[in-house]
Amino acid sequence: MMLHPSKIHLSVVCILLLACSASLAQNSEFEISHTGNAFIKTDVEVNTLDVLSGGDASVEASDILTRIIGNDLIFSGMFRIEAAEGGTDSLNFEYTIEGTVEGPLRDAGQTGEIAPTTISLNLLTWPGRQLLLNKRYRPLPSQMRSTGHHFANEVIYALTGERGIAMTRVVFSRSTGDGSDLYAVDYDGEGLLRLTANRVLNLCPSWSPDGSEIAFTSYRNHQQGLFILDTSNGKVRPVTSQEGLNFGADWHPDGEELLVSMSRGGNPEIYRITPAGKIIKRLTVSKAIEISPSWAPGGRDLVFTSDRTGTPQLYIIDSDGAGRRRLTFEGRYNDSAVWSPGGDKIAYATREGNTTQIVVMKSTGEDRRVVTDARWRNCEDPSWAPDGRHLVFASDRSGVFKLYVYDDEEGSFRQLTFGDDPDISPAWSN
Amino acid sequence: MNRGWMNRTMMMVTGMTLVLALVLLAGCGGSNNDVQDDPTAGMGTDQVEDLPPPPVAEDTTDQIPATPDYDTMDPAEYGVDDVFFAFDQYELDNESMGILSANARAMREAGTTILISGHCDERGTLEYNLALGEKRANAVRDYLVSLGVSKSKLRVTSYGENRPFSRGSTEDAWAQNRRAHFERP
Repeated sequence: MMLHPSKIHLSVVCILLLACSASLAQNSEFEISHTGNAFIKTDVEVNTLDVLSGGDASVEASDILTRIIGNDLIFSGMFRIEAAEGGTDSLNFEYTIEGTVEGPLRDAGQTGEIAPTTISLNLLTWPGRQLLLNKRYRPLPSQMRSTGHHFANEVIYALTGERGIAMTRVVFSRSTGDGSDLYAVDYDGEGLLRLTANRVLNLCPSWSPDGSEIAFTSYRNHQQGLFILDTSNGKVRPVTSQEGLNFGADWHPDGEELLVSMSRGGNPEIYRITPAGKIIKRLTVSKAIEISPSWAPGGRDLVFTSDRTGTPQLYIIDSDGAGRRRLTFEGRYNDSAVWSPGGDKIAYATREGNTTQIVVMKSTGEDRRVVTDARWRNCEDPSWAPDGRHLVFASDRSGVFKLYVYDDEEGSFRQLTFGDDPDISPAWSN
Repeated sequence: MNRGWMNRTMMMVTGMTLVLALVLLAGCGGSNNDVQDDPTAGMGTDQVEDLPPPPVAEDTTDQIPATPDYDTMDPAEYGVDDVFFAFDQYELDNESMGILSANARAMREAGTTILISGHCDERGTLEYNLALGEKRANAVRDYLVSLGVSKSKLRVTSYGENRPFSRGSTEDAWAQNRRAHFERP
């Protein structure tokens, strides 16, 4: 396999979260060997951060940051981690991460405010100890995990040139009795947050491109409708509730419109609508079931499901509804297609015997791979991470549907959600 | 029409009488509870056991009017039964059509609005099952309309695989879950 060295220019970037800017000792260029091959991973040592002051709170912050950064590098699929206590000399790692935690000097109790902690994080080459990255953060205790995620993304970008997924989240539907509520969880399984609590079914969530809103399907007085939840305040507003089905929303990459399937008293067809519920264009006209639309990354084409031949199969059309072409010819039941962020792949669910499994193929329809098997029982509702490498899906392999993350380069799996209640309909944020 | 109105008025009167009776009964129960709740009542004595038993609701079977109050009943209680479907199908078979003929008679008699919800077994995808559930509910509605049930009295929704009647991954459970269900909206 050829190596593709990528030249990374490291520069100081101003960080959103945080007051302090980075002070990089030198502003230099490095040649970094990065292969992109999943099986050749870069070894990084993650040291427990040194606690300079602040007592137990700083020790806790150090533990959180060390854990989060290590997990993020592992979950990216591109690194192996040497977790070192106090800088133990270890194996053949190429980079090392170390840093310090300083607790607030002022007693937070006196003012009633929670004072921020000062975190300094460094990425160095090993054994040369050349400083590649230095970041200083002043997070509140509640921001400690996102601080770790932020630094991990910086490290991933510095070493690979790729955008990390450490600050992404997954929204999904968790069944509880007759209803099912939307929850969001950080991509690493932490920070579970309940978003709805209305004792009805809440299904098929879709993030807006900037993550500020979630479109989803719910029921009011037995009528299905499309709603939008504002993630900053949890408020829900109705979008449309045409007679019959209003579901399967997928936000356009520009955030200005959505694809949705609506039956309007007949059979479901694909529509483009505004976030206010106005129909922009009807894209399909047939007596068949036409559902599960997903935009291609540029928003010019979309993939969807139609059973016009008698079985549900995937088709592609453009944003005017023209140029229809059938994409799947294998399998008698294909649905839930999602176009990868890079545009090169499409994942979907296919029926295999009495079970449903996940397929990944090129968006041309070539190189079809069934990536789960009968051990997983049923696998449904794939959704791509923004890195185009990881997929989240729901499987009932444990007896109850839970969410799992699949790494399409490595072929590995990781369980994302736990507990006894079924989790379905996952959607990965940008 | 007039008769329906008369029946309804009579039922309302009967209903109100029943409510009044219940309120009175509840009042009795309340005073007993007061005794029990009195913090001094049981103190220093062992008299608690001597309290009279709680009042038992009267048997009101005889008071149910001859004409049922359809508005408060589940359709199954006046002979509207669910129908079932074959795997991946939404067409009605002969058995279903027979059930729906009887349902149509009961619905025309009752004259109430009914919700038809379409359901699927767990196999297949959530999205396709929502669409299949709607096809099943629509097939049932269209057949009932063809038998003279007013379309305006029928509402349709689909829950797909998301509200199963029977849990489990057996053929029996799947068969139970592929259905059109009738309920009071």
